[in-house]
Amino acid sequence: MTTGRSSFPATGRQRQFDALVRSLSGDLFRYAYWLSSDEALAHDLVQETFLRAWRALDSLREATSAKAWLITILRREHARLYERKIPQFADIDDVDVPEERDAHMPEFAGEEGLIRSAMLKLDPKYREPLLMQVLGGFSCDEIARELNITPAAVMTQVFRARQKLKAILAGDKPFGARVELS
Amino acid sequence: MNCLEFRRQLNIDPHVDGDFAQHRVACARCADAHARACGFERTLRHALDVAVPANLAESILLAQATREQRDRRPLRRRATWIAAAAMAVLAVGVGTKLQSKPLPDIAVSHLKKEAFVLGKTHPIGDDEIRNAFATFGIALNDVPAGSSFVACCPVGKFVSVHLVVPENEGPVTVLYVIDDRHEQRQDFIKDGWFGRSIPLAHGTLVLLGHDAAHFDQLENVWSASLRSATFKA
Repeated sequence: MTTGRSSFPATGRQRQFDALVRSLSGDLFRYAYWLSSDEALAHDLVQETFLRAWRALDSLREATSAKAWLITILRREHARLYERKIPQFADIDDVDVPEERDAHMPEFAGEEGLIRSAMLKLDPKYREPLLMQVLGGFSCDEIARELNITPAAVMTQVFRARQKLKAILAGDKPFGARVELS
Repeated sequence: MNCLEFRRQLNIDPHVDGDFAQHRVACARCADAHARACGFERTLRHALDVAVPANLAESILLAQATREQRDRRPLRRRATWIAAAAMAVLAVGVGTKLQSKPLPDIAVSHLKKEAFVLGKTHPIGDDEIRNAFATFGIALNDVPAGSSFVACCPVGKFVSVHLVVPENEGPVTVLYVIDDRHEQRQDFIKDGWFGRSIPLAHGTLVLLGHDAAHFDQLENVWSASLRSATFKA
């Protein structure tokens, strides 16, 4: 792939970007959703990620590394969001408590719903490497590079993430139901 | 690899090969545990596959095209005329199909297609709004404040300037449909949206929102702005 900006014909660059958006925006949205726990915020994050990616498209050297590259941009954008976030204060009576809210939403019903609720309860430290592995399809070494931690730490975190998830699920199951744990 | 290491690896990554796979073949109990773990992984994967918003890719590409256009301001004048011409062709081309639909239906349908812009809250500059109207030969003297989005959009067989005004009660969409002047001012409710259409100058101003609290104020400021505007033939 050519990397110099001037050597890319404008239409070729646009076609490359279109292909990236169409093939990876769904995966990125899901990743952003579980990172931020908010659909609207996830939409904004993905859009901003691709706008930054468009400006830096020439730094993408291999198409096969596009997903990892975009996830790096998205994580930075997410971190930036919290750097400039101003705390919002609301009356305690007006607060939409996630557990109460989730109980009434169809996407939080059934077995997959229980897992979704459990994922949202996981500490981000455990949730993120698990997301990268399950949603992103990354190996422990790739996750380690992205999160800037050792592969051993990644293994520990995904191990604990699964254990915690299964423990939360076992606790959330209605009385009499049994969750089969490996 | 022994059973303990195998069970640990199950919780780290149950899809690896090598010693892990060999132990699975050799140990029936661990093979059962592996099958259960794979079932859990499938359920986990499905649970994480949350629904992606409709038209996500299109909304990103539109945002990129809009920003790209803004960044190339020197070329803008020629590009806007091309865009206007393209929209006119599009309007004529598809207009016959949409001609019979009433304006409230067409406006709400357009709003739904571009629902993602309702989330925009950052104020835009007066020049962007002036340029959008200028695309259709309308020179605004006064630009009402408070808009967070503007674009030139085909609406049915006509073209329009599409704006979003964020309010405390929720965003209000302001559409000025050009050359489609309705006879009467009317309030309507369509698919849960409150709406108002106001014949104004050579077109119709349409307001849409989940709350109509700001309709009077928006009607006043946009009526004043469009009445004082210059319309080129």
